[in-house]
Amino acid sequence: MSLQDRVEYAVRKCEKLGASEAEAYAQKQRVVEIVLERGEIQSERTKIHEGISVRLVKDKKLGFAYTSTLSEKEIEKACEAAFALARASAPNPDWISLPKTAETPTSPEGIFDPKIAELQGTDVLNLAIQAAEAVKEKDKRAAIDDGKFTAATGETAIANTHGISCVEKATVFSCYLVCIAKEMGKASSMVFEYEITRSLGKLSPTQLGEKAAEKAVASLNPKSVPSFTGKVLLDTDPAAAVLAYTITNSVNAENVQRKRSLWAEKIGEEVASPVLNVVDDGLLPFGVYSSAFDDEGVPRRKTEILTKGVLKGFLHNSFTANKANTASTGNAYRQDYTTLPTVLSSNMIIQPGDKTLEQMISEIDKGIIVRRFSGNVRPESGEFSGIAKQASFIENGEVKHALKETMISGNVFEALKNIVAIGSETRATLYRAYVPPTLVDNIKIVSKH
Amino acid sequence: MALDLLSECLKNWSGGYVEMRHHRREMLTITVKDGKMDAVNCGVTEGACARVLIDGSWGFASTTSLEKKDVTKIIEDAASLARASKPLKKRRVDLGTVDAYEDSYETPMHKDPAKADKEELVRLAIDVDKEVRSFSPRIVSDNVALRIIDDKLEFLSSEGSRISQRIVRCYGGVMVVAMEKGSIASAYESIGAQCGLEILDETPLEEAGRKAAERADKLASARVAPGGVFPVILENRIVGLLAHEAVGHCSEADLVYGGSFLAGKIGEKVASEKVTLIDDGMFPRGFGTMKYDDEGVPTEKTVIIDKGVCKGYLHSRETACQFNVKPTGNARAWTFEYDPIIRMRNTYIEAGDYSLEELAETIKDGFFLKGGLSGQADFTGEFMFGTQEAVKIRNGEFAESYRGVTISGNAFEVLKNVDAVGKDFLMRIGMCGKEQVNYVGMGGASLRTKLLLGGR
Repeated sequence: MSLQDRVEYAVRKCEKLGASEAEAYAQKQRVVEIVLERGEIQSERTKIHEGISVRLVKDKKLGFAYTSTLSEKEIEKACEAAFALARASAPNPDWISLPKTAETPTSPEGIFDPKIAELQGTDVLNLAIQAAEAVKEKDKRAAIDDGKFTAATGETAIANTHGISCVEKATVFSCYLVCIAKEMGKASSMVFEYEITRSLGKLSPTQLGEKAAEKAVASLNPKSVPSFTGKVLLDTDPAAAVLAYTITNSVNAENVQRKRSLWAEKIGEEVASPVLNVVDDGLLPFGVYSSAFDDEGVPRRKTEILTKGVLKGFLHNSFTANKANTASTGNAYRQDYTTLPTVLSSNMIIQPGDKTLEQMISEIDKGIIVRRFSGNVRPESGEFSGIAKQASFIENGEVKHALKETMISGNVFEALKNIVAIGSETRATLYRAYVPPTLVDNIKIVSKH
Repeated sequence: MALDLLSECLKNWSGGYVEMRHHRREMLTITVKDGKMDAVNCGVTEGACARVLIDGSWGFASTTSLEKKDVTKIIEDAASLARASKPLKKRRVDLGTVDAYEDSYETPMHKDPAKADKEELVRLAIDVDKEVRSFSPRIVSDNVALRIIDDKLEFLSSEGSRISQRIVRCYGGVMVVAMEKGSIASAYESIGAQCGLEILDETPLEEAGRKAAERADKLASARVAPGGVFPVILENRIVGLLAHEAVGHCSEADLVYGGSFLAGKIGEKVASEKVTLIDDGMFPRGFGTMKYDDEGVPTEKTVIIDKGVCKGYLHSRETACQFNVKPTGNARAWTFEYDPIIRMRNTYIEAGDYSLEELAETIKDGFFLKGGLSGQADFTGEFMFGTQEAVKIRNGEFAESYRGVTISGNAFEVLKNVDAVGKDFLMRIGMCGKEQVNYVGMGGASLRTKLLLGGR
């Protein structure tokens, strides 16, 4: 039985049990993983991660069950469990329907790379070694604390009682290094550097290692400066953690409908600086978060989010779309087969500007650059505060020195209006967003000084 | 019986040390959002794994199939990975010798959730949600979640260990959002322990809900706390985070080996003499309690800091052998898909004898920081945690509330500045992410120190 056969089998079984509607989601993933610890290879794993879940509706009552065993017998048991749970549950008056048949979607270009699918443990190990060597060669003071290199090949199949039945294969390679530099017995702050890509050709372990070493060394010999309010240049990852993360949460229709978004009533209003343009593009060629269909089998598409700072739209799955009497934007998301679909971005793209990082720095009279953000962002209120890691002080257009014990704090909704410039060098981040470096004014910079 | 299957598959093996685990996890989750029932979610994940040590080189493989041929194959897969990567490894792993155990263990409990009435749990979640939403007109949204995790773990080693454990965890949480004139505040409270459903009678979810509602309601109209260095009281819930995130990680032998803050500091003073910090594998009802770790080593109570002096580290078999000490039973794996790594179990700072009022007495201008959010720490001891609420302390008296901010500092500096520890000890539940996630207990009593607030 193929994976698609299995989801169809589950849906038929649920119909026989007397379900009003049913949906099955199955996943099969082969993962080859190398874990580095203390700069050495600690372990390697090959694992098959697989399972199937069933979402079943009976008189507006929902049941959900899953199993990691794909045999017919276990699938039947999961269907029966979901049916029993639906009966034990209470009706959800907002329930309308699972998604209805749509055209059969086609996969965007570049989401399956046979070269990743063919990687063996030793191949992944060699890539990890390349990165480790690059750290050492770049600077003797830098060393790897830990890291992980993961090649994943996955297949997802979805079917429901309204005729949706689709299957897709994809690959992704992800890796990270935690790097630290030491000089005269003093350690730098810990650098977390990562790369995530759909195609092996775009991965450079050497570059990853060099970047990590560079950042670690640059944060040696930190000094503090007195607290001030001013310009903060957020590098790609902190810009994603603070800005993109809050945007994603604020345009999530579930949050909008549940009054957890301050943008709930603001469609058509200017909510951010006019330099900011944002789209969610689930079909981006080679996009790390691209796919033919979302986690309910609804075709992916491109959705305008912010145009010149004006709020254009929200992201929906079928439940929130039904509730708002609109069409799903193909943004249903599940962490894996064990979870119910929620709403999440696909590739949330902050459109890059035209300045390089160096140009942006050269235009700052007084401010700081933050290369990693270790803190809390509360997307409902927009409040954020945390440590500015690998941060440096900038004066008269030049990076002066690394910063010690410095925190940044503010409100993201205000920060979005205070964006001064957006950089040209964008990248895929771990926040399901493609984000360039972003310069924001009027941020509180708190130091112990 | 899964142990027999594992042992059948291992029977003809002769090629080096092998440990095999079987893991079956049953999970039930009930979620109510804004008065609407989400699907009741339940499921099973089950599988087996093998870890093989050949000539000092590890290999690991796992499978979701429990067919004999597939389980036998993962031993081969793990062995071939170990052989292939051997020439690329600089360090040879040695495990030393440990005793082999044949034993079984089960979480002590009164109300086994395996017999739970699901409809009753659904009703409970719906009732909590109702109460939360009726707390005040400012409450605009809430989530009520209840979860039961029932883990059955079997361990078999080529050295003769045969261990089976059943670990049951019940927990719940309430998240509340309140709005006042376009300003939003949220609050979160949780309950839970390693035990049966009796936890819901002892620490009712309604109470957690009420606390969260009260806090969100109050903070909806509050301002953000100011930034800068202040004397503070850290609430017991936050002290647990500090013990775990900022201090505990530095005592994990793999990080010690990498040069963490506590490296080379055994016998040295690293904190105020008011501070004693423990990681206990058998803390009653602790979220991280297990009788044996995932290498089959009995867990123990490990003293990390005794009255300010660093006493020991947390070990797996591998690092214990490297450091020439006894393993402490800290090797844990999230599921059968992962090999065990050094993890904390239940980490806490021992209670002192101050009341909250006494802790506040000497603070002229400071804050009482309450309600931990997520945190992170580097192995240098530099940490940050979010807090939900900052209560102003003026001349020894608790005053108005502000919205919490992120706090940061070097944990050991913060611990050196501890001059009083409270008596309100609390062991809370936690999730820790270190390459793979895991359940841990985090404990402590409120204490007084000073640190940096990242406020307005």
